[in-house]
Amino acid sequence: MEARLTRIDRAELLRYLSYRGGELSEAESEQIARCTERMMQTARPRAVWRLFDLLPDGTLSGCAYRPGGEDIRVLLADCKSVILMAATLGAEADALSRRARSRDMAEAMLLDAAGSAAIENVCDNLCADLAAVLAPAHLTERFSPGYGDMPLTDQIPFFRALDVSRRIGVSLSESCLMLPQKSVTALVGVSDRPQPRRGGGCASCPRRESCAFRKDGKSCGLF
Amino acid sequence: MGKAVDYSEIVILDGAMGTMLQAEGLRAGELPELWNLTQPGRVSAVHRRYVEAGSRVIYTNTFGANRYKIAGCGHDAAELCAAGVRCARAAAKEDTLVALDIGPIGRLLEPLGDLSFDDAYETFREMITAGAEAGADLVVIETMSDLAEVRAAVLAAKENCSLPVWVTMTFEASGRSFVGVTVPTMALTLSGLGVDALGFNCGLGPREQLALLRELREWTDLPLIVKPNAGLPDPATGAYAVTPGDFASVMRDAPALGACLLGGCCGTTPDFIRALSEVTRELRPAKRTAPPRRGVCSATAVAELGGVRVIGERINPTGKPRFQQALRERDLDYIAARAIEQQEAGADILDVNVGLPGLDERAMMRDTVRAIQEVCDLPLQLDSSDPAALEAGLRIYNGKAIVNSVNGKAAVLESILPLCKKYGAAVIGLCMDETGIPQSWEARTAVARRIRDAALSYGIPAEDVFIDCLTLTVSAQQEQAAETLRAVRCVTEELGLHTVLGVSNISFGLPSRETITASFLTQALYAGLDLPIINPNQRAIMDAVAAFRVLSGEDRDSEAYIRRFASPEAQKRAEEDKAPREMTIAGSVMRGLRQETAELTRRALESMSELEVVDHLLIPALDRVGERYERGEIFLPQLINAANAACEGFEIVKKSIARRGGQKLSKGKILLATVQGDLHDIGKNIVRVVLENYGYTVIDLGRDVPPEKIVETAVREEIRLVGLSALMTTTVPSMAETIAALRRSGHDCRVMVGGAVLTADYAAQIGADYYARDAKQSADIAKQVLG
Repeated sequence: MEARLTRIDRAELLRYLSYRGGELSEAESEQIARCTERMMQTARPRAVWRLFDLLPDGTLSGCAYRPGGEDIRVLLADCKSVILMAATLGAEADALSRRARSRDMAEAMLLDAAGSAAIENVCDNLCADLAAVLAPAHLTERFSPGYGDMPLTDQIPFFRALDVSRRIGVSLSESCLMLPQKSVTALVGVSDRPQPRRGGGCASCPRRESCAFRKDGKSCGLF
Repeated sequence: MGKAVDYSEIVILDGAMGTMLQAEGLRAGELPELWNLTQPGRVSAVHRRYVEAGSRVIYTNTFGANRYKIAGCGHDAAELCAAGVRCARAAAKEDTLVALDIGPIGRLLEPLGDLSFDDAYETFREMITAGAEAGADLVVIETMSDLAEVRAAVLAAKENCSLPVWVTMTFEASGRSFVGVTVPTMALTLSGLGVDALGFNCGLGPREQLALLRELREWTDLPLIVKPNAGLPDPATGAYAVTPGDFASVMRDAPALGACLLGGCCGTTPDFIRALSEVTRELRPAKRTAPPRRGVCSATAVAELGGVRVIGERINPTGKPRFQQALRERDLDYIAARAIEQQEAGADILDVNVGLPGLDERAMMRDTVRAIQEVCDLPLQLDSSDPAALEAGLRIYNGKAIVNSVNGKAAVLESILPLCKKYGAAVIGLCMDETGIPQSWEARTAVARRIRDAALSYGIPAEDVFIDCLTLTVSAQQEQAAETLRAVRCVTEELGLHTVLGVSNISFGLPSRETITASFLTQALYAGLDLPIINPNQRAIMDAVAAFRVLSGEDRDSEAYIRRFASPEAQKRAEEDKAPREMTIAGSVMRGLRQETAELTRRALESMSELEVVDHLLIPALDRVGERYERGEIFLPQLINAANAACEGFEIVKKSIARRGGQKLSKGKILLATVQGDLHDIGKNIVRVVLENYGYTVIDLGRDVPPEKIVETAVREEIRLVGLSALMTTTVPSMAETIAALRRSGHDCRVMVGGAVLTADYAAQIGADYYARDAKQSADIAKQVLG
């Protein structure tokens, strides 16, 4: 199963930049298309994943990492196994935006947003491929360290369990941020029944006061 | 060492350790190195099985025994490394070598990551000192993706023990590592640093690694290592695809490609090693006859010697008031932009000179090298006469650099050549000595020969010595042009050395300088010059290079030449050179047109003062764009495009002021920083662009900045407005801490904060004076605080 980048959604890219529907000149549309194209060509998507059995005590069979927090327990309530996955666009994608920075900040921003849309696409594709392989079982949504009440420091044991650095070249900084920046780690539950989106909305989220999505009048869609 | 490796034979290494320990019950994510203390018998048993299978060299179970990976396990790196050596020694036979295994730290080095070179060095030093004391026979640095990290490890080994050092890096089938390192850049850099053997491990199966080996042997004459995986693991089952028999039958071809050190990585077991040992028993590594290819490099790009390689000369303060101002203000972005500009104009290598009286050249060289390497992958030529500044740059320079320069003076040779040798840099030798510049070509050639011989005596190969025969100004010493050309020919043909020449100096004091410079350049290239130091932004000069490359045959089928002159971009460029259309500055800024804004600013300065142009044209234009942004008529990239266009105008104004030595135009100083722990700085960078274009002087401390540094700078620079950004929830406490530190210092300043996770309430809670929702608002706040 290869990591695949198939498209960069223009509307999603614009959403990352808080686009409010103003007029875009031909030159600006061209600039957006050019940045999208460069990101498509430059990104080198890679992914690593492993399937672990979920034991009744909340631990993963044969795995030293134990996912922390109440939210993940609720998400996995109905699951027999869990996928740990990590994906990245690689160092080259980060470099694109970085190189643009000292010459053209607008281009740097567009490239950065294109990268965000691109890594989402890679994760969506991977989950779709996994769902196909694991059918008739069903997958939950992706849940990442730092979401809800799962501490970001879960990244450290998560990285060890998947050997993320060695397998796909992603490192953690001292404060548990990923480098290259356009990278995602996530847990996905595997269940016999279709998994509904979880209720409660933002009100039940411990991060509601500081959420970037909420500030823009959106939600992460997880709750 | 009693048990030296004979590289003219096949030496069998071991196979995977992790794979074997997992079979013994090690769980995913558990620290394998802990077993050196808790289950030493089982670790030794694995080693023993490899020795019995034919391994002459066994790698200790210390791959991840560094202070970062083992944090919190209750033991330190030295303990685990020493125990690892003991486990291996217990299984070793009389002629078995124990290699101290050093893997990646797991953190990314600056400038891409947050780990400093010095911290990486210290991490490796700790492991190596302990391993060497415990009796390791050699140090093997393996599974590396980042050349910067390898350099730190190699220097830590060479400066702290006398053991041989082997290095293997991990590549993908594309021939690049995860961070973009290529086979040639690895080979050039590590051969220069003086490692004892190099090659590949992990990542790929045997067939793919042997394909890369063909490339590697062209670039180095060092002993070669191949240690592939047993294919790739199936994610669901963890099983590897290649069998011991398949593995060995592919690896059988490695000796013919010159490899002498053979083993296996992930997924390989004693069965693989036994099979490998058997099929290679009668074989010897093929001798390589062709001399290796030569060049200089960054971590990701090579300038191979052979054809004409243009060295860009623009990163140099001499005679450039605007550049001097950038140095004094430590405006590294300005310098980095000059690097990218020259790269896009066709430079192959960049000269870096940051010497300015009154400035700490050592710190400036180090910071500039780092800033350029963050955004530009051209090889660099460090230009200084101060050995301390050169060493500061060479130590962190990621790749194989050029040092500019030495000359025939004994004292200079003695102080700088050892640095070139230690860091594996090529060196430029100027044809002058204690007696000055010799006037005849014969005498200059004699100095060149002396420099070459001195370099050879320090162990620097002749291929790494580039001679500068010196260009003198033709309007002052007309007969010297011919002497220089003759010397270039003689050094090239008789000494067989590469030559550099600062070409532009020839035309000083004459009208239409480009005409003379281009003509002299062509003659010098014909005489053998292959490393011209020129201004690549001058099109006529680069046109001469392009033409020469066609006539010399370097530009096959004139492909690059045709691309340069007949492409649609080239024609568009020619059109852009014509005068801009009728437009106002407000219009050109609104549409984000840079060249037009620059040209219109230039014209406006003919009838208005600099201050008038800023206050009556540029700022109002930006204000109008800002209003449209607030109304949602345009979005952020459009605002930034406009700001960039205005920036071109401000640059023209700044140059105009610098030219007449006037007072700097500034509405006040603002300090910006992304707080400690946070690496996401795009928001802060946007704010910077906007503030600068409103005429404020921004001191940008970058990302991951500790509170002390922010306080210290605010006090020293008498900053009245500090802007802090944080993207992650987890780094907001670090922002609160920074604000508290600023208040504690008693320094009188306002603090504005911004970033994805912040809100106005939260900003007030952590003690900020202002919350900036976006870049536009930060400019409004600045206006309020500073006027």
